[in-house]
Amino acid sequence: MISRKKSLKNAGLFITFMGPSLIAFTCILVIPFLYGVFLTFTNYNPVKGTKDFVGFANFIAIFSDKEFMTQFLKTLLYVFYSTVFCNLLAFILAYILTSNIKTQNFLRSGFFTPNLIGGIILGYIWKFIFANVITQLGHSWDFEPLKTSLLTHPDRAILAMIIVTVWQYAGYLMMIYIAGFVGIKKEVLEAADIDGAKGMKKLFYITIPSMVPSFIICFFITISRGFMAYDLNLALTNGAPYGSTRLASMHIYQKAFQANQYAVGQAEAIVLFIVVALVTVTQVMLTKKYEVEA
Amino acid sequence: MKRVFMSMVIVLVIVSLMFTACGKTPETAAPGTSSSPSGSPSTDSGSKDKTVKLTYFNTSAEVNEMFEKMFARYNELFPNVVIELIPTGIGEGQQEKLQSLFASGNGPTFMNVDPANVIEYQDRLVEFTKDNAPWLFEYANESAIEGGTFGGKVLGAPWSVQGYGLLYNKRIVDQVYNGQFDPTTINTRDALQAFFEKIEAAGIPATMLHGANWSLGGHYLTLTYAVQGPATTDGTGFIDSIKAGTQKIEDSPIFQGYMDTLDLLVKYNYNKADPLVADFNHDILAFAQGKCATFFMGDWAWTSMVGLENFDTEYGFIPVPWSNNPEDYGNTEVVMVLPKFQCIDKSQNTEEQYKAALDALGWMLTDPEGQQFFLDAGFYMPYKNVRTDIKYNSMTTSISEYASRGKTINLGCFSYITGDAWTETGNLMLKYVAGAINRQELADGINNYWRSVK
Repeated sequence: MISRKKSLKNAGLFITFMGPSLIAFTCILVIPFLYGVFLTFTNYNPVKGTKDFVGFANFIAIFSDKEFMTQFLKTLLYVFYSTVFCNLLAFILAYILTSNIKTQNFLRSGFFTPNLIGGIILGYIWKFIFANVITQLGHSWDFEPLKTSLLTHPDRAILAMIIVTVWQYAGYLMMIYIAGFVGIKKEVLEAADIDGAKGMKKLFYITIPSMVPSFIICFFITISRGFMAYDLNLALTNGAPYGSTRLASMHIYQKAFQANQYAVGQAEAIVLFIVVALVTVTQVMLTKKYEVEA
Repeated sequence: MKRVFMSMVIVLVIVSLMFTACGKTPETAAPGTSSSPSGSPSTDSGSKDKTVKLTYFNTSAEVNEMFEKMFARYNELFPNVVIELIPTGIGEGQQEKLQSLFASGNGPTFMNVDPANVIEYQDRLVEFTKDNAPWLFEYANESAIEGGTFGGKVLGAPWSVQGYGLLYNKRIVDQVYNGQFDPTTINTRDALQAFFEKIEAAGIPATMLHGANWSLGGHYLTLTYAVQGPATTDGTGFIDSIKAGTQKIEDSPIFQGYMDTLDLLVKYNYNKADPLVADFNHDILAFAQGKCATFFMGDWAWTSMVGLENFDTEYGFIPVPWSNNPEDYGNTEVVMVLPKFQCIDKSQNTEEQYKAALDALGWMLTDPEGQQFFLDAGFYMPYKNVRTDIKYNSMTTSISEYASRGKTINLGCFSYITGDAWTETGNLMLKYVAGAINRQELADGINNYWRSVK
């Protein structure tokens, strides 16, 4: 009887604290999501007002959309390289900025600043830098590779997007890594010193294993944001040159709202969702294995 | 226990509130079925003391303010009609906004939209007839009315005319030709080539292409459809036969001719070092300062130039010739197009609303006071009763000269190039200009695109 009363009380507490956010979550995320899944089985068109059941036709249409496949592969490449370079740079920066150098506070806020600028504005700023500033420098130095804009060649435009992404997120991830560095127990490091571990050895055997939680979160952030990159893509390249840099999100958007194939676009969005979910869950599970208790 | 109970009650109340809020989606009338949804108590359009509220969806983002002033003035004249502007921004998702308005049952009364939208929304629109809109048939130019006719019905009221072709900077060209240049002499590709060579010999880059898919796909490639014949159906018929697979675009001499001319433009392109930069402000600035002699663009370029300092003000158009026979259609003409149409919705607006909208539209487009707003903003209106003492900018003047000589290309088929057509075919054109594909691959790509469209 007592335990029953207690569990009832627990449920009450749960609803009091979780209820409001749960309702908000349901209304603005779960319901639209399920409705979105439902729409993929219809020939939804808000202009004509149709919403008839068509079965799996939309998912079959994805396979005949060759463009979606190529852009998806390109998105994978983009996500891979931006994840690697973002984290590498962020880790190096964090390492340097926790080794007690002068002006480290100033430098920390300096590297963090790009993250405070929105993706659209950032895209336009870098577009100007790539198209005008760098080409101008190329002409005044008479250095051939810089004379043409990075944004006008399909492969180099993707490179430009990776550069800007790294620039944008490295500072943000650096903060997380700094927290990781600071969070390592002094005793552990001292013990390593006494045992004679130095420099690189200490970094690889003590520091990095103790920072696995930071790696989990940083990889998760870069991978999931990379897949869903849209604002930077829109402002920096908008698919140029000739549609070669339309990442998955932009392709889906154009499919739905410009080619007016709403349901096919929605089906592609669901596919993207599943892929992102699979990749990030796998990543978190794999990296969790390396977590150590100090 | 009491607290728990209270909290559960609160949560339940919140949930029920939210669901009633969610459940109240407005009923959307199925397009084409009913003309006046029940819901408005009064259908008597004659009552004077009742105010009618209309909404106006505008995609000509650069003149939002002009419409606001116009509606304020209309409200002074007719106090029982209030028109509310739904503005959109340049580069903002205009189509998406319109789609969401209709999907949520708040379809605007008026729409100022692209011809492609008129086709998309045609089942929802009011047909203009001599009974409900006599002003349109009395004052508008016949060709403009024809432009607003879709599937045999006049669904869009035209209100402005734009044109494109090869713009030339008069100061630069006069320098080279010592003031002896006659634009009508450029009526064959050879003449164009000679003209370019002469300008290049004077040390000035002869032309400029804007490396964006809307310019090369939407404007340049569309010429190859439009020039198939003077009637709109000539162009759309050509596209239909490509769709059906009975025609390959590369078999058309007009396509081949325009591509030969494009090769010429690419050869003398001011941006040839990096043809796909497509920085509109950069290109406009270069052209306005006379860094190159000609520019494949339209008279809307003027709006972007007005803000510049020390720019040239005298420009004219020359045609883009596609063959060496001066008699061929397209070699002596420039394109004239009706870029936007005014439409009225009947699917989600009451009869009272759309009748009031018809009256308001008549005032805007044919009353001298209404027209003055458009003229002040620099629009060239295709109506017979427009004041004739207006001085337009040099680009619009040049277009109107071609129009008065009847030397215009009918770009009616442009209305049917909907959805992602010009983005996709434009991207192929950019590949061609950048040298990534050859002409046969370009043609294959265009054929494949049209065949994939249902």
